Amino acid sequence: MAVPVSQMYTVTKYVLTQKLRGVKRYPLVLMLEPLFRCNLACAGCGKIQYPDHVLDKRLTPAQCWAAADECAAPIISIPGGEPLIHPEMPEIVRGLVERKKYVYLCTNAILMERKLDDYPPSKFLTFSVHMDGLRDEHDLAVCRDGVYDVAVKAIKAALKRGHRVTTNTTLFDDANPERVRKFFDEMMGLGVEGMMISPGYSYQKAPDQQHFLKRSRTTELFSKILSNRKRDWQFNQSPLFLEFLMGRRQYQCTPWGNPTYNVFGWQRPCYLLQEGYAPSFRELMEKTDWDAYGTGRNEKCADCMVHCGYEASAVEDTFGSLSGFTKTVKITLLPNAR
Amino acid sequence: MTDAKYHAPEAGSLEGRVFRPANAGELSEAIELAFDYRGDITVELKSGDRVMGYLFNRTATGAQPTIELFPSTSSGTMTIPYSEIAAIAFTGEDTATGKSWETWIAKKDSERRLEVDRVAAEAKARGHL
Repeated sequence: MAVPVSQMYTVTKYVLTQKLRGVKRYPLVLMLEPLFRCNLACAGCGKIQYPDHVLDKRLTPAQCWAAADECAAPIISIPGGEPLIHPEMPEIVRGLVERKKYVYLCTNAILMERKLDDYPPSKFLTFSVHMDGLRDEHDLAVCRDGVYDVAVKAIKAALKRGHRVTTNTTLFDDANPERVRKFFDEMMGLGVEGMMISPGYSYQKAPDQQHFLKRSRTTELFSKILSNRKRDWQFNQSPLFLEFLMGRRQYQCTPWGNPTYNVFGWQRPCYLLQEGYAPSFRELMEKTDWDAYGTGRNEKCADCMVHCGYEASAVEDTFGSLSGFTKTVKITLLPNAR
Repeated sequence: MTDAKYHAPEAGSLEGRVFRPANAGELSEAIELAFDYRGDITVELKSGDRVMGYLFNRTATGAQPTIELFPSTSSGTMTIPYSEIAAIAFTGEDTATGKSWETWIAKKDSERRLEVDRVAAEAKARGHL
């Protein structure tokens, strides 16, 4: 099982409560970005390009906790930048764990082994290690040799200490399906709890025809990777999202499912698009023109199949209809079933 | 860590450009460009004062449209009404230009190695490696 029963129960209870209350738009995962500074400068990173005085800004623990309280999502993902650089990150995580939030601390793992003593193992805390593939692919993606080996060593050390560890992988249409399948074997062999995968988001604008081609290439790639998948591969995400990636289900984006809070405020409309910032979560939810975003609605969203937009759509499908729920159960038990 | 691979259009950067809008439409356009710009700008106010910083937000609608900046020389944020802006200059380094994945791949190995070493040295100096 890719996540503990307690986490599944918490998320299920949360979603059903929102539905019973008639809440149309509710957050599932808070993307909390306490800083943009990173110790890698991956070519093509769309997040870390700011002047130094902006990269030096950090959210305080109190700001992070206030965002978590305001948003009330049961899961908090902490990307960045590199969160382990933040000197108050252990305190931030402690406060979130005390609030019984399930925290995914996203890291490139360069500092992870050194920092493990700062984080007591907890069912509420998971180190989500960014791994872009096997050694060659990963080191090329992060533009530095040796990072794959450092990350593998850190994962082993964390697992040995009783930490929950998952991997987080972004794939682009140049990925080699066979190499990706080998990578999955390698990660499961390390003993990680589960893997998260997502196609990357391209910021480049392109004519509509190209968008369609790109989207179909994405589904083709994920079909090759995930068809006939091995039984021991555990994915830490909705089975229906994987079906979506394979082109077997169609979803519209659910951008409010993964709201983002960072040093600029509440980012409109999502983690990847910067259309402006709202000073409060309430204002983000009430004053964002949500209908202006998603595939077919906005040129910037045309190619996007990223988890931060569509994972929540898959969860909504699971709990929104009997057929969605039945399909989720079926694929959970029989991953290769159609 | 982010999960985005930035395929930036490698068109000319706005770095060094100065916009002195003649009307409200041109001002809005200049502000939108500044909002998308990944470097500091300098705002010249109608009072003659100048403010340098990173423009991170703008509220284009409402009774008094405003921009919000992180000034480069002080902490906190600064809000400036559209009506007080005389000019916008793209004075800071465009931190996004030349940083696309395609540009990285196109570089020679030796150039890539130099860039990696420079980034590593900076991270080490900050105690982040």
